[in-house]
Amino acid sequence: MNTYLWLPILLLLTIWYLTFSANRLDRLHHRAETSWANLDAILQRRAALALDIAHTGAVDPATGLLLTAAAHQAREADIADRSEAESGLTQALLILVKETDLTARFPELFQELESLTERLRIAISLHVEAVNAARARRKKLIYRIFRLAGHAPLPVKYAFEDDSLMEITR
Amino acid sequence: MKIGFVSPYAWDVPGGVQAHIKDLALHYRKQGHEVSVLAPASDESLIEDDFVVTAGRPVAIPYNGAVARVLFGPLAASRVRQWIAGGDFDVLHLHEPAIPSLSLLACSIAEGPLVGTFHAAAPRQKVAFAIAPLLEPVIEKLRARIAVSEVARETLRIHLDTDAVVIPNGIDVDFFANAEANPNWKRPLTMGFIGRFSEPRKGLGVLLKALPNIARVFPDFRLIIAGPGEGLEAMQSINPSLRNRLEFLGRINDSEKAAFLKSLDVYIAPNTGGESFGIILAEAMASGVPIVASDIPAFRYLLDDGKYGELFENENSDELARKIIEFLKSEEKRQRFSQAGSDRAKRFDWKEVSDEIMNVYLHARSENEKVTLVSESRSWNRLFSREDD
Repeated sequence: MNTYLWLPILLLLTIWYLTFSANRLDRLHHRAETSWANLDAILQRRAALALDIAHTGAVDPATGLLLTAAAHQAREADIADRSEAESGLTQALLILVKETDLTARFPELFQELESLTERLRIAISLHVEAVNAARARRKKLIYRIFRLAGHAPLPVKYAFEDDSLMEITR
Repeated sequence: MKIGFVSPYAWDVPGGVQAHIKDLALHYRKQGHEVSVLAPASDESLIEDDFVVTAGRPVAIPYNGAVARVLFGPLAASRVRQWIAGGDFDVLHLHEPAIPSLSLLACSIAEGPLVGTFHAAAPRQKVAFAIAPLLEPVIEKLRARIAVSEVARETLRIHLDTDAVVIPNGIDVDFFANAEANPNWKRPLTMGFIGRFSEPRKGLGVLLKALPNIARVFPDFRLIIAGPGEGLEAMQSINPSLRNRLEFLGRINDSEKAAFLKSLDVYIAPNTGGESFGIILAEAMASGVPIVASDIPAFRYLLDDGKYGELFENENSDELARKIIEFLKSEEKRQRFSQAGSDRAKRFDWKEVSDEIMNVYLHARSENEKVTLVSESRSWNRLFSREDD
């Protein structure tokens, strides 16, 4: 076959492959955004629950202060500091569960915390997975050469201590 | 919520994955959700469930050491497309999407809130490295992956380099716990085994080799074997004096299975491998029958390293005989494991498991999002999918 026929076919294939790759990345970004939105919603609810616990008089003033401070920090942190602030809140909640008799006196509050924590664990694992997939794809040569990521921001890695989270439910 | 399930295997053939989808779909329907299942069917007239949409006749392919009856190809693809376009689903739950099947087709055709459940466990295979690049763009569309066991999760990690949330298979605990024993089966010193015993990996051979040792201590023991297969063939390998101790029931239905488990003194699971979850052990625990099982990874995980059932070294018939004799000797030991197992089984009840899966659905979608066809929103794909068909 002559070269003049191959050239457009090759060009078409290249364009198709680039579009296909861009679509793939686009979906991965979308996946990361969805998982982040869900994770964020649960984190917000957790902070609100922590404030509730602190303000209902269910705990002593010192623990209440600790909880309030941690919850506010978690709410106000920007995305880069978020995981650190949320880990702080986890630690504060852990102290609450371990050191006070909340479990016995307010079982319904504790139950809500427990179910939120369980949902949080799944949301974190889905989000970490989505972010890793998107970041790994963006690192590939073809995405960098052709700037297939466009202006989409690099998904932020969320480092949450899964282990201390698990202790809350125990 | 409107939930679509895709089954890779034929609906009119009994199997673990189909049973899982059916139970889950019925459970959600009872809770007021709308469900629809897309599945292959060898004979459409045999399908009784009104929520099942058939997609055509499956073909038999060798897969993972067994014959899988699955369905794919252009005709199936157009059925999947129709079903998704007309379904208006909030979530699409694909089962076993990493094998050539309807689930894989659906995963490549759809986008949006997709959830995938991985059932199988397979050892590391060379071929995985060849197919992984083909599967990756499809599988990465899943917003959430569920593995039914740690073994399935590990399989997924090795083959596709992706992590999953572990949510176990579900069972109806009350159904097994409240079943009545069958007086024909319930006699002293009765052991039981359920499975396609002609498959070597089910381990019946290991159990049969242990029988002479057991007969030395308990000459009156009985072993009842349930499951499809030719009993006479298995009999050939047994000492003639032991043959009258064995009874073959053939295939049994769910109520018979519950009654069967209730009638036993001890349940034996001598499987030598290839098991991902071991739902029969969860069912046995729910019935309260004590278990002796091989120490393959799936069983070790399910029985928490021997806390909820006795483990013996895989394929070691002598140790199996020893453990069975210990069980038959001690009423107290049987009681203890029966109690521990009943507690453990609650973890696998559909009530809890279906809530966990619903939770994953909620995580997989953003508000008001629907499952759509890929080609609706991607002009290039539309152009090329015509040619692919």
